Amino acid sequence: MAEHVIGISDLKVTNNPADSMVTYALGSCIAVAVYDPEAKVGGLLHYMLPDSTLDAVKAKDTPAMFADTGIPLLFKSCYKLGADKKRMVVKVAGGASILDESNFFRIGQKNIMAMRKLFWNNNVLIDAEDTGKNFNRTVKLDLATGKVWVKRAGGPMEEL
Amino acid sequence: MKLNKRILKSIRTLPPFPVTIQKVMALAGDPDSSLTELAAVIRLDQAITANILRICNSAYFGLRRPVDNVGDAIMHMGKKNVLRAVMAAGLSRYFRTAKGYDVKGGDLWEHAVAVALMSQICAARLSVPDDPRLFTAGVLHDIGKMVMGEFVEEAWQKIRELTEEKKYSFLEAEEEVIGVNHAVLGGEIALIWKFPDEILKAIAFHHRPDLLTDGDLVPWIVYLSNQVCHVMGIGVGTDALAYRAVGDVAGRFQFKQRDLEDMMARLHRSMQEAREMVSIVSGPGGNGRG
Repeated sequence: MAEHVIGISDLKVTNNPADSMVTYALGSCIAVAVYDPEAKVGGLLHYMLPDSTLDAVKAKDTPAMFADTGIPLLFKSCYKLGADKKRMVVKVAGGASILDESNFFRIGQKNIMAMRKLFWNNNVLIDAEDTGKNFNRTVKLDLATGKVWVKRAGGPMEEL
Repeated sequence: MKLNKRILKSIRTLPPFPVTIQKVMALAGDPDSSLTELAAVIRLDQAITANILRICNSAYFGLRRPVDNVGDAIMHMGKKNVLRAVMAAGLSRYFRTAKGYDVKGGDLWEHAVAVALMSQICAARLSVPDDPRLFTAGVLHDIGKMVMGEFVEEAWQKIRELTEEKKYSFLEAEEEVIGVNHAVLGGEIALIWKFPDEILKAIAFHHRPDLLTDGDLVPWIVYLSNQVCHVMGIGVGTDALAYRAVGDVAGRFQFKQRDLEDMMARLHRSMQEAREMVSIVSGPGGNGRG
């Protein structure tokens, strides 16, 4: 069984039921886990920033860095393996912030807003989420079951 | 400052600051020193030399052709960059593990490198002159955790109660339960290691630059860079987000949200280019996290 580690600004999709994918210590970044239970296709994205207009070159080189380029790429990569949008289960976690944040560190909130807007415009419903607050989170997607697990720093692994 | 006896004893048993780095710092700061002198000092330390060559050849320093000896490295990189490589090569040994903060081997070093690189990015954005103190202070900001870890581990239940139930920051909980925080303790280590005052202050106040009154930008830049790396989750432990934002750092630097986002994107790139610098401490770290 292969466990793939998804780094920051990275994504992976697979239809191998023996695989799992994990991304560690999410702070303000967001993990989007998608799964089609019929095609048994799943993907995990770990994006860092809300908006790709920041840097067109980086958006092209590293589309998984941004919500608005990473999320579409995650869905399209799943379609290539036979996933269907209507069947896809979408779960998200992350977007945390530090204590007493001044308006300067609201990057977590902006990441959450960017994702919500994109899903709303594309008629995608979020099935489960654990976002905001001031916890670091580790997120895991298990391909055999399609289950998503979230571990808050210092806490146990719990199903999302 | 009054430290309990066990902490004092732990500080005193820390290995001395590497002589090679001390000499290199002095030579690099002396405009009359020659490159030959610098190379001669570095060559005496074989462990550092091997790591320096690995670091020098990383994409981060952008050499056109790989170098295989210290003399060539210095000639192509210049004194300031050699100083950075020497710092990274020589100091990584202190960052192998910090129990208590629940970080895996290599993660703490990854965090140290990330803060040092972010300090450079931040300084460039502010058009602050390229100041070698920044890299040193960035790498060493959490040195106090090396000693604190043991005490944090012992007091873990109490610290957790304070941060989870009473909304303490991790720093405040360290002070309440152990009597000192990891930043101030790092300042004590810097004192024993006879560091210049500015670096000592940047270490001791890296969570509270607002308590300093002299207007030096270095502690603020290290503070900001550290906060951003914590927010991004790079090489952090259970204390990751339990820190307070102090002062109006954005206003002070006239940064907008976009500036911050751009700096984060640049850091991601720098960390990829500096992979060799991160990997000299082995462990599962090395993946950028966010």
